[in-house]
Amino acid sequence: MYNLELQNNLITTSVYGSAIALILIGLYAVLVKKNLIKIVIGLSIIDAGIHLLFVAIGYIKGFTAPIFSPGSENLANKMVDPVPQALVLTAIVIGFATTAVALSLVIRLYKHHNTARIDQIKSLKW
Amino acid sequence: MVISPVHYIAVPLLAAFLIPLLSKFIHKELARIVPGIVFLYSIFISITLMLQIGDKGIISEVIAGWQAPWGINLVFSPFSGFLASLMSIIGFLIWLYSYNFKKIDKEQSQKYHILQMMMVTGAIGIVLTGDIFNLFVFMEITAITAYSLTSFYRERDGAEAGFKYLLIGSFASVLILLAIMILYTQLGTLNMAEIAQKSHLIPTSLKTTIIVLFLVGFGIEAEMFPLNGWAPDAYSQSPGPIGAAFAGIVVKAGVYALVRVIFTLFDIHGAYDFLIYGGLITMIIAETSALAQTNLKRMLAYSSIGQMGFVLMAFGIGTHQAIVGALFLMFNHAIIKSLLFMSGSYLTYNSLTKQISALSGLGKKLPLVSILFGIGAFAIVGLPPFSGFWSKLYVLSAAADKNMLLLIMTILAVSIVEIIYYFRVVSTLYYGKQNPEIEIQKPSINAMVSMIALGITILVVGVYPDVITNLLENAATALTDKATYIQSVLTQNLPIN
Amino acid sequence: MRKVFVIILLILVGYFLTNTFSLITFGENRIGNTSEEKNVAAYYLNNTKEKTSVANVVTAIVVNYRGFDTLGEVTVLFLATTGLGSILFRRKEDEDQIERISKPSSSLVQTGSRILFPLIALLGIYVFIHGHLTPGGGFQGGAIIATGFLLMLISYKNFKAGHTMLIWVESLAGITFVTIGLWGLLTSGSFLENTLPGGELNNLISGGIIPIIYIAVGFKVAAELTGVLDILLNIKPKK
Repeated sequence: MYNLELQNNLITTSVYGSAIALILIGLYAVLVKKNLIKIVIGLSIIDAGIHLLFVAIGYIKGFTAPIFSPGSENLANKMVDPVPQALVLTAIVIGFATTAVALSLVIRLYKHHNTARIDQIKSLKW
Repeated sequence: MVISPVHYIAVPLLAAFLIPLLSKFIHKELARIVPGIVFLYSIFISITLMLQIGDKGIISEVIAGWQAPWGINLVFSPFSGFLASLMSIIGFLIWLYSYNFKKIDKEQSQKYHILQMMMVTGAIGIVLTGDIFNLFVFMEITAITAYSLTSFYRERDGAEAGFKYLLIGSFASVLILLAIMILYTQLGTLNMAEIAQKSHLIPTSLKTTIIVLFLVGFGIEAEMFPLNGWAPDAYSQSPGPIGAAFAGIVVKAGVYALVRVIFTLFDIHGAYDFLIYGGLITMIIAETSALAQTNLKRMLAYSSIGQMGFVLMAFGIGTHQAIVGALFLMFNHAIIKSLLFMSGSYLTYNSLTKQISALSGLGKKLPLVSILFGIGAFAIVGLPPFSGFWSKLYVLSAAADKNMLLLIMTILAVSIVEIIYYFRVVSTLYYGKQNPEIEIQKPSINAMVSMIALGITILVVGVYPDVITNLLENAATALTDKATYIQSVLTQNLPIN
Repeated sequence: MRKVFVIILLILVGYFLTNTFSLITFGENRIGNTSEEKNVAAYYLNNTKEKTSVANVVTAIVVNYRGFDTLGEVTVLFLATTGLGSILFRRKEDEDQIERISKPSSSLVQTGSRILFPLIALLGIYVFIHGHLTPGGGFQGGAIIATGFLLMLISYKNFKAGHTMLIWVESLAGITFVTIGLWGLLTSGSFLENTLPGGELNNLISGGIIPIIYIAVGFKVAAELTGVLDILLNIKPKK
């Protein structure tokens, strides 16, 4: 009994914990790093953390994937929540698009100022 | 085919996918012409649907044939319809203005017009959709186009402004995504009407979290203090017509989302105070910063932020009259700020620098543009007989009804600040020394037509405010009437848990 | 000093997130009994099999129930490509002044990628054609095909992705998606409505318009990701 509870706690901590850790790592990179590419990487890491959290909230313990493959046609009552998975798919694509635009802006900033360090690019107020 | 709200989205999308093919294989000019036709069609849809809802109330259209909570739906109510119509019209005028804008490279104009059209479409999607995640998707469409358009000019610091905007914008989308996630775990739905119906079931601690995340996320798009760091740079570095589009369209969509969350999704009174204080601080800080600006576009940008603070504050007062006033302010801000950005960008285009002092004496060289700028300036500070006067009056009298003396004092004080910095520009235009070296570039006819159309609207609404107040009254009623909204979206009976 | 502030901020954010998610139990069943249809997830699980004949419920949601989101998402990608093109725009006369940043690869890598490329493309096509039956779909398949193109782009310095072809694929796929939607609006009165018969569950040809849309999405995503990679790689001006 005690072991089972401990196991549950461990799983919860590791799933939520790793997602939250990813968000924090990404945030750290965005706030502290001076290199624009590292900032963009930080943004992607935050996104990854959010997506992991999103998938995690749809999980139901002991349930199966929401696909009616042959042999699991009647398991509708034993399937995890499909909605977060669908939403994450959308969110990933949007995150990709944002990253692509961010990288192209970094390329232009680099060409313009010959540096990718944010503290050396200061034509506008930050 | 029966006209329905989905045409607002489907037709521009079809056009956007077609344009690369058309311009490559049929004629290059089509890339610039097709968006105009699309905007005209959007205006046509707006007129048809606004006439229809005159007697039907709210149109709720389902997508893919799935009834409301199961699928995505679009809601055309007097409120969202009013905003969608306004956005189509402003979008069309901005298209007309930028049709042969000289600073836009010929080879690049195809991309410019696709992006501008999709920016408007995304904003219209935000106001029409009835699904919170779909709103997020449309917000990202608007955001991605906005980042690209901010950094459109190569010779300016556009890339830097765009990157700054992108950083803050991604922060906003992360917060909104988190809020949607927590909301989904609590209610198991994404439909806004169903959320509104069931929001009292969420435990208070999580509810506060969700609301704060939403307010901060949408507050960034609505230029609320202290989340508006992106705005002055984005406005001043982007092409002139895009500045008008930010003020007239993108920010309006952000305000819509903020107001929808507060008024419809979670009807809680703490949020009203949040709007009042947030709006008040935004207004004071932005208007004082505007006073300190020497760059015309940055000044207009700060003024725009201040006006948005005013709008949010008016929504926060919360009475029917205040909401009518807030909507009137939004309408005025959309047309007046668009006019100011359009005429202002021709003024700066014809001066050596973008500083206000460089504009001196242009009033005689560009008489019509300067008069239009003057109309805009007088209208936005709220002088009669221009349209800005009536909206300020509405909000002031609503505040007076609730005995908010401090609020009235602040609004009046801020108005004086506004008068000072706008008059400074106008007097530089007319009484400054002329710089004889400047060669004047006259605006093209289509740009003049769109500016004159805006100027005439300002005057007509200023003299006969009744042409618009009826629409605004309906819109305000539709916004506060949560029960009708829920009822018209969720037509079938749902199991209540 | 700045770091101290950031770490305090991170601790606050971390505390806030842990606090919030401690209220949302991991692995808890929030759907309830699916046949009661108390929330959207239960409705989808209960009805997808009969009403759409699609085995993969996630696909049914992505393409049909929430198909409008997917249309928006495809548009976001399209706009990212367009925006990238406008941000990194160069004039026609500068076009041949640029070359790709990559060192020439060894013939081992070149031959290897030439053999791998068709296989990767095949896998991608398999993934998006079977999107309604297996975990996978248009986005995943398109991304796989784009990795194949990336392999070619980095191993052959002169490999051209073919701009005309990309424009054709991108536009035609987008037009197909919207036209199917408008067809539903014309015939059944609802945008993107599934107008074709569902067919039998777990057959390749089942689910009506869902596989067609997913194939279009697959082509579009592949073309757009390839376009993005191509633009981002071709940035170095020739000396």
